[in-house]
Amino acid sequence: MTGVRATLAVCRYEFRMQIRRRSLWITIALVAGALAAGRFGMGPRYAPAPPGAPAREVMTRWAFLFSVILPIAFGMALADRLLRDRRLRTAELLASLPPGPAGRLTGTFLGGVAATGAPALAAMLVAAGYETVRRGDLTMIPWGLAAFAAVLAPALVFVAGYALVCPLVLTAPLFRVLFVGYWFWGNVLLPATLPTLTGSLLSPIGSYAASWLLGTPVLYAGIPGPLPVLRPEPTGSAAAASIALLVVAGLVPLLAVGLLRGRRRTA
Amino acid sequence: MDIAITGLRRSFGRVTALRGVDLTVRGGMFGLLGGNGAGKTTLMRIMAGVVAPGSGQVRVGGYDMTTRSGRRDVQRRLGYVPQDLGFYPDLSPREFLDYVALLKGLDDVTARRRQVGELLDMVGLADVAGRRMKGFSGGMRRRVGIAQALLGDPALLIVDEPTAGLDPQERIRFRTLLAGLAGQRTVLLSTHIVEDIAQTCHDTAVLAAGRVVYTGSVTDLTRTAEGATWQMTTTGAPPTDGVVVSAVTREGGTQYRVISQARPSPDATSVAPTLEDGYVALMRRHTPAPAV
Repeated sequence: MTGVRATLAVCRYEFRMQIRRRSLWITIALVAGALAAGRFGMGPRYAPAPPGAPAREVMTRWAFLFSVILPIAFGMALADRLLRDRRLRTAELLASLPPGPAGRLTGTFLGGVAATGAPALAAMLVAAGYETVRRGDLTMIPWGLAAFAAVLAPALVFVAGYALVCPLVLTAPLFRVLFVGYWFWGNVLLPATLPTLTGSLLSPIGSYAASWLLGTPVLYAGIPGPLPVLRPEPTGSAAAASIALLVVAGLVPLLAVGLLRGRRRTA
Repeated sequence: MDIAITGLRRSFGRVTALRGVDLTVRGGMFGLLGGNGAGKTTLMRIMAGVVAPGSGQVRVGGYDMTTRSGRRDVQRRLGYVPQDLGFYPDLSPREFLDYVALLKGLDDVTARRRQVGELLDMVGLADVAGRRMKGFSGGMRRRVGIAQALLGDPALLIVDEPTAGLDPQERIRFRTLLAGLAGQRTVLLSTHIVEDIAQTCHDTAVLAAGRVVYTGSVTDLTRTAEGATWQMTTTGAPPTDGVVVSAVTREGGTQYRVISQARPSPDATSVAPTLEDGYVALMRRHTPAPAV
């Protein structure tokens, strides 16, 4: 069996198992619902776009509204995926099957990311459907998908890499606690208060992508702070660089674990 | 699939699990006996390619298990039921088997579905094939375990402690199932339940403290206790000379079955040994005497 087929098999079943978790759907529905209901009291940045605003702006506002909290739910939901095989006592059987650890890891990552992203995508589509009906503009749906891809998906990939790997060292409950702390430190806290990555290319809240889609800086994109090289003007190319950096940074821990497991298997 | 092991050693940190194992297995059903901590599970894991050998030679079906490619080659021909196999509670047995089949490289959808269906039928789980495994009993889970191991019709089947925790009826059913599979392949059965070996295997090896202390036929192992198996009934204290294999309270006293080189009491009668007696006699020989 080729590595690709093994990876696809793992991806398929990881997706199936993760998507069946009721807690994932309930959490994301509650968080998305609470954000949608509470956005009028969250300040002008999160308020609905004014009447007549283009679909691009309307749906980007939805995406960055969701990106404030939803990635925390992604991290919570993915924190046990690699530990689970050990906890459920299936790791020994999987280790006795021909596919190597790299294929299993990649499959778990892809399946986990796809399944965890599905409820968030559903939330975006519900928002797009609502705006389509309210504003009578059918382009809300493609712009909803585009905003999801640019703002939320890179955050999901970034968070997934660390949420899968860190609990192997920290345990899942401890990771979850630390992750919530990280999220507010690295995305919300201003650099003037404490050295933080808020407003940088490595901020997974999606500030650069949202700023580019809206045509105006939002979510502190480019705010002065430590590592100025990571804080360019929020342009299209900066947004692309931010997306690429987030994806690569999310893959780094997976690569490290893959190499480590591969070496252990060879030993 | 023949297995040839020479001088196999394996340690985990400071703990030495195997201290120079020599073993040859030539097809059919082969039993591996030993107490807790004897090294059976480590040996099974090495043969399943889960753990690499420390030093020594391990060849399974001609493949060198000290190399990664050798382990991968064996895994393509292997069915493995680990000692403590768990399941994904959200999957049904059909889905779980389909998943394992995909990982074993059974890519043809029709053939895979047919094989999964046949195996579920064989282990008596066809009626619950679509139900999630969350509420399955221990026996049902073991049956899923053996079904997944048989996917791809493996030439080597490694089964580690398959009947531990099962009720007597399930145990007999499981043993019969395993014995029936040995005709076409090598089945390696590891257990500390002597009865399972007695009922299913022709040949066996006994492990103690990381070494093979016996290898040969089950009949010869039984003979180890010939002339040393005694039965006696007494109302007094249990015999101190020898190892008491069983004690049954009856009218007129307690009937003891004792393994001892010397007659433990004048009224003790010599009886024909069972495999369990042979195993106890062997282990007695290989257990170091307590320090005085």
